Amino acid sequence: MKEKLKNFIFTELIYLEDPASFGDDDDLLAAGLDSMGIMRLILFAEKEFGVVLPDTEIEPHNVGSLNALEKWIKQAGPA
Amino acid sequence: MMTETNFLRFNPADYFTYVLDQEIRLAGMPGGFAGFALALAAEPDLDRLQQRLDLLTQRFPQASAQIERLGKRYAWTPTGQPLLLQRHSCRVGEDAEAETQRLVLEILNRPDAKPLNLHWIAGGSGGTLLLHWNHPLLDARGAKIVLDFLNSDRPESFKDSPSPITLKLAQFRMWQWLRLFFKVKRHNHDVLSIDSCLPTQADAGQQSLRLKVRRFSEDETRQIAALARQHTGLAGKTLYYLGCFMRAMEQVGPPAAKAGYCIPYAFNLRRQNAPTPVFGNHVGCLFARATREQAQDRKGLFEHLLAQHRDVVREELDVGYLPFMWLGQWLSPARYAKFLRKQYSGGELSSLWFSDIGELSWGKQGFLGVPVTAMTHLCWMTLPPGLALLVGQLDGRLAMSYSYLHPAVDEAWLDLVIARMDAELMERL
Repeated sequence: MKEKLKNFIFTELIYLEDPASFGDDDDLLAAGLDSMGIMRLILFAEKEFGVVLPDTEIEPHNVGSLNALEKWIKQAGPA
Repeated sequence: MMTETNFLRFNPADYFTYVLDQEIRLAGMPGGFAGFALALAAEPDLDRLQQRLDLLTQRFPQASAQIERLGKRYAWTPTGQPLLLQRHSCRVGEDAEAETQRLVLEILNRPDAKPLNLHWIAGGSGGTLLLHWNHPLLDARGAKIVLDFLNSDRPESFKDSPSPITLKLAQFRMWQWLRLFFKVKRHNHDVLSIDSCLPTQADAGQQSLRLKVRRFSEDETRQIAALARQHTGLAGKTLYYLGCFMRAMEQVGPPAAKAGYCIPYAFNLRRQNAPTPVFGNHVGCLFARATREQAQDRKGLFEHLLAQHRDVVREELDVGYLPFMWLGQWLSPARYAKFLRKQYSGGELSSLWFSDIGELSWGKQGFLGVPVTAMTHLCWMTLPPGLALLVGQLDGRLAMSYSYLHPAVDEAWLDLVIARMDAELMERL
């Protein structure tokens, strides 16, 4: 799951010279994930993993890193 | 004679902006020009800046190109001419800020500017660097990349890359094209059905471009960001600005009162922080729409805008406009302009031109070693609406630049809207 998320983020949303060096706990928001990117990322995750991620839970502690995202998606209910 | 190697065809978004550029010119104004101004605390090394401009045209010949027509399509053809840094000075004894704004507007109001120009306006102990460009050449993100190139210690790292629009279009299979086309057609029907309130009743006449800038402190910016997060969530900061503007205009009273508000907002297809592509437009378009009744209910309006945005992204309408834009390339500017601007009623679609440039910083290094103290954006727009709001944040301080046409937009009305916008943004209701 994390690899799919990472691949989507660094091919579609954020440019990094060396995405491989981006750690699972590194700050996605500081790396440049903006509001439009968050929306696209959430909808990608919903479609890819068949879950519903509630608007009310779109918080930095859920989208701030790859680990946080994975945890949030795993906790979310199916679509 | 032109060959495939010395011209660069417009991509669909370049043509989209060219059509609007032509509409502005047809109304007797200079065209779709925009400005990105950085206030610097001291004068940078201007000779070094000129060397960087020379390097820019060397590496990216389209930096000094002109538009050529190729059958039904258009392209940039490099002229090989150098880009010269144009130097200006504020009048001695005058207020440097007001004088700088006067000069910036004098430059933007010139009828015969080249597609890309760089100006240094000396004033006070420092001055203002103004990048002035014609929109079909590049978008605002591209303008930032040009400034980064001029400032970079590693200009060789700025290599050109294919347009994300072209890449995205190439990914679509035929059935996806058709599915998106009809989805967007249905969506467009809704967009075009609510007549848009406008900031002016004027649609012609001699106009000049003017500017009002509202700068927020770090504390105010933090407060606005917290309120945006509360009302439109982490994913909807732009929607907070749009909703606040709709409400401000609604409360002051729209000069051309119709059924609701429609504000197109672009999103950039470049990845965040990507150093390329430098030139070209790489944007898609979305619409924030609300009826006047919806604009009167603050909480409900933000919920509505967020739900609308989420639905659009879920339905892939954010990229769905790309096939439309691709097809638009085969229409004449006048015919395409009608699609872009007009509603079913014949009224103007856009209540406002809007862009959120996002959070920028030149950090401790500044621009060529000089601290950047303020940032301003401005642009021409069609009449109507005659008003554009460009939002950007520099080192945690929000700036809202209102470009408007004079005399089409009433200044006293705009002052009231800006004051009301402050109240809406900071929830001082």
